[in-house]
Order: sequence, then C-alpha cells, then structure tokens
Amino acid sequence: MIRFENVEKVYARGARPALDGVTVDVARGEFVFLVGASGSGKSTFLRLVLREERPTAGRVYVAGRDLSTISSWKVPSLRRSIGVVFQDFRLLPNKTVYENVAFALQVIGRPRHVIKTTVPEVLEMVGLDGKEKRRPHELSGGEQQRVAIARAFVNRPQILLADEPTGNLDPTTSLGIMRLLDRINRTGTTVVMATHDDEIVNEMRKRVVELKTGTVVRDEAVGSYGERESILPTIGGTPVLDAPGRNQPAIRVTPEPADLEAERAAEEAAERAAAEHAGPLVPVPAEPPVRTRRAAAAARRYPADDVVQQVLAENSRARAGREG
Amino acid sequence: MRLQFVVTEVLQGLRRNVSMVISVVLVTFVSLTFVGSAALLQTQVDKLKDDWYDLVEVSVFLCPNGSTAPTCAAGEATEEQIDALRTVIDTELADVVAQTYLETKADAFAAFSERYPDGYQGTQLTEDDMQASFRLKLVDPEQYQVVADVLTGREGVEVVEDQRAIFQPLFLALNRASLLAAGLAGVMLLAAVLLITTTIRLSAMSRRRETGIMRLVGASNLFVQLPFLLEGAIAAVVGAVLAVGGLWLGVKYFVTDWLQQSVNWVAYVTVGDVLLVAPLLIGIAVALAVVSSVVTLNRYTRV
Repeated sequence: MIRFENVEKVYARGARPALDGVTVDVARGEFVFLVGASGSGKSTFLRLVLREERPTAGRVYVAGRDLSTISSWKVPSLRRSIGVVFQDFRLLPNKTVYENVAFALQVIGRPRHVIKTTVPEVLEMVGLDGKEKRRPHELSGGEQQRVAIARAFVNRPQILLADEPTGNLDPTTSLGIMRLLDRINRTGTTVVMATHDDEIVNEMRKRVVELKTGTVVRDEAVGSYGERESILPTIGGTPVLDAPGRNQPAIRVTPEPADLEAERAAEEAAERAAAEHAGPLVPVPAEPPVRTRRAAAAARRYPADDVVQQVLAENSRARAGREG
Repeated sequence: MRLQFVVTEVLQGLRRNVSMVISVVLVTFVSLTFVGSAALLQTQVDKLKDDWYDLVEVSVFLCPNGSTAPTCAAGEATEEQIDALRTVIDTELADVVAQTYLETKADAFAAFSERYPDGYQGTQLTEDDMQASFRLKLVDPEQYQVVADVLTGREGVEVVEDQRAIFQPLFLALNRASLLAAGLAGVMLLAAVLLITTTIRLSAMSRRRETGIMRLVGASNLFVQLPFLLEGAIAAVVGAVLAVGGLWLGVKYFVTDWLQQSVNWVAYVTVGDVLLVAPLLIGIAVALAVVSSVVTLNRYTRV
C-alpha cells in the first residue's frame, strides 16, 4: 500500500536530511506505529505519503502510484484515497460537526444525496450521533478528534494517516480514539500513526517502525514502544516534555463525560453493526481492539463506563509501576 | 452541489472583506472609466475623420505669374506642364487618387466671386490674380504624403497643400487627450491589479484553514481556487459595469444633450458607442482579475 525505497529528503541544501535512505513497506490493511523523537522524520514520512513534499532521492509508492513521477493534477485523486488526522484536529470553527464532515465530501464534488447518507453513518460510527449541530468549541478534545476522524474517513480512504492523534488527549480519551482507529483498521483501511504515546503502542501490539535522525532503526511486526530513554534521549526521564501537547495543563485523569459518552456510543454503533452483519463499517465482529484478552473479556461483560474505570485503574497502576 | 457550494463560498468571501472588495470595485471603476474615455475619444476622432476627410482634397497649386518658387522659374505653368502633370497623376498616382479636377484660373475666379461678390477686403481682384490648381480627391485621405512626394518639385507645381492640415490641431488635441486618458488608465489599472492581488491574498489567508483541508481531502486545484477567482472577477466586473454606466451618463448628458445641442454640425459619439466599448471594458476587468488572481493563488493555495 505504501512503499518507501531508499527515500531521502533534504529540506534545505546542506542541512541534515530529514529522511536518509528509508525503506519501508506497509501492506494493505496493516496498522503501523511510527515512533521516534521529535525531528526523527515521522512527520516528513507522512508528508511524503501525502505528496506535500517530494523526496530528494528514492521512490515513494502509495496505493500503486509512483509519487516521484505523479503529475500535480493527479495529486487530488491521490489524496482522496488518503485520510489524515492531526494532533490539533484542524476543524473549521464556524461550521457544525455535520458541516465539518460534509465539507470533505462537498469539496470533492460528491452529490448531495451521497453526503446525506454517508455523513450521519460515519458520525454514528465515531459515536457522535446526535451532536451534529454542535460547533467544535462546544466539544471536548476527544469529541473533536472523533469529528476529525469522521472527516478523514467519510470518503472511505484506503489509507488513514494519523499524526499524533492522541497528543492533546488524556489517556482514557486516547484509548477511545485508539479503539476507533483500530475499528477503522479492521474495515481494511491501512493505518499509519505517528505517536509519542508509549502506553498506546505497548498495548496495541501492532507493527512498530522506529525512526532516528531520519533512518529506520527498528521495524518489528509486533512491537512495543521501546525504551523511552533511548528514543527520547535528550529528555531523559521526563519524556512528557518532548511530546507536544502533552505539556498542556489540560491533562485530566478523569476524562470528560462527553468523551465517555462518545466512546460508549461508538462502541454501541460498532456492536449494532456487528450484530446486524450489515455493517459496512465493521465487517468483522471483532475482538475489542485494545488491551489484553482478559481486559477485552471484561469489556464485553461490563458497560462502557465500567470498562473505562477499569482501564483508568490499570493505567495508573502501569504508570506507578514505571515510575516506581 | 458544486455550484451551490462555490456560490456560498464566494458570497462568504465577499462578505468577509467588504471594504477590500469595495476598494477593488472603485479602483476598477475609475481605471476603466479612463480606459473607456480614451476609447471614446478615439472613436470621436475617427468619426470626425470619417466625416471631414470626405470633404477634403489635396490641392496642387500650379505656378502663377511671378512666383518665387524654384520650380516656377519659367513663369506661369504652361499647357504642356499641366498635361505632363495630368499624365503623372493618372499613371503614377492612379491607385491613390480617386478623382482629378483641374480648377483653372477662370473656375477659381468664378468660385471666388461667388463667395465674395463685393470683393475681398475692399480690393477688386481679376481673373489673373487667381491661381490654377489640380484638386485631387484621394482614395484614402491619409495617403497625402505619397501625392506630395510625387508632385512636389515638378516643373509647373508651386506647392502641394493638404486641406487636412486645417484639422490637424484639433485632432492633435483629441489624440493627446486620449493618450492622457490612456496613460492615467494604465496607472489606475496597475493599481487595480495590485489591489486585486492584495484582496485575493487576504481572502486566501483568512481562509487558509479551509483551503488547507480542501487540499488534504483531495479537492482539485480549480475547485480550491475558483471561489477566490470568482470573488476577484465579480468585484472587477462590478467596477466595469459602473464604468460603463458612468460613461453612458457622461455621453448622454454631456455630449448628446448638451454639446450636440450647442454645436450641432459635428458628429459626436453616442450612447451606442458606449455600448460598443462596454464589452471591451468588461473583458479587461475579467482579464485583470483572472490574471492577478491566478498569479496570487498559485503562490498561496498551491496543491
């Protein structure tokens, strides 16, 4: 789906390359974490996939297209097969939730009846059913990110790129976002996610590609985040400072009720879709996306609130363990 | 869907920076009024030429008695010289001259007597005081110089005169006026281009979020840029329409209703001419807007 062949990217002449001989192959339907310190080339990687940048050397193939030779008028069609989610959500503040998602379809000229059916569908999937008329500033961070994901996914792209989607969110809300991304991954969408969030990476047990000063230093099929100290060497024991967004005072141990509600709604939507077997969004009645099997079983048994409480407890246990 | 979306975007954009849009409208209005004035002045000059050049002739004055011109050293033009000149006019100038008429001294005196039956300024002139001349009507009055080149200096020709010379000062004045208008129009058009550029840049800046998302979700270049382009074009066209309206009023009240009434023997530009100029002005406005927006947009909203 995405193939990098010896890709090199130098932004300014004479500067250290942002990417240096990167060769990565991401198969269709894979879920890949891109980890590494700030400046290791994660964002450049994503920008190259979007063809916001062109490689200085080497070749980038995305969805069967060679991006080094693609003509600029074909770039829009490439981007229609890619959804993108950012740390800062990038929603339009003067548009409602519904309009924000519909915008993505309007500007690529989708007919109105398609928009009328797809947008509510995708909003239900992300758990924002009933909040169509809200504006972004009336939503919690988690909900805003769900809108952004809905917007990225509404056109059913083959690839979803996420640049630190949980960077601005508290751990529990992040977890909800990760479940959503996982659910999208199960529909066959290739997901590439750049992140600093070690908990998430360790819990998901997905492929991990680690970049360091522009080169791939690790590529494990079922990987963990790795040692924070080696990935984020200059920061040492306080990696929080290195993760943009993490340093915001908005870190809450207790997630916003709205986030929990959205998570519950999304979960229910997924279960409904699974139960009906009509779910175009969730074809496989999947095991819960994150956590261990034990936690997954628990998640099945308890209502979502309890799951969240349990997850919270486990989170704090894990953190206490690491810090102690 | 697309159309409705684009229209909404355009209206939003126009509303968002009303003051800039108004300034674009005004500047295009003024500059295109100058362009239109220059065009109308030229039309006026052409009309006058059409009208008056039909009346004018080239006069080839033949040597009278006692002329000091070098070609007249032999005294009054002889029959042979006149015949030779006629041959030259009929052969060498056959393409240029439409009509030849020889005004003899007798003809000249007859015309003179008719015009001044009581004598000219108190002196009674005789037929011998008159001067014989060829009156040449040219196919194209502008080709006077050809005739002058061929005939000047021939034996028996004293001087070749172009009656157009009478109108020259007027045409010169009108031409200079239209040049001045065109020059001012040029400056104003430059201002219009810069202003449109700035307006579109501001508009693009204020909607950077939108355009950024549009690019990311794969909107085509045209779709991203079209609203901005239309904004500029609409403002410029409104300016052009105002300019046409202004010129129409000017011609109607200043020329048709006033000049025409007071000096009525001249053919003036009419409101019909204004309507002929209108497509030109609107075309210029659209071209200005499109060129300046494409240049700006390629720098600020490139995919």
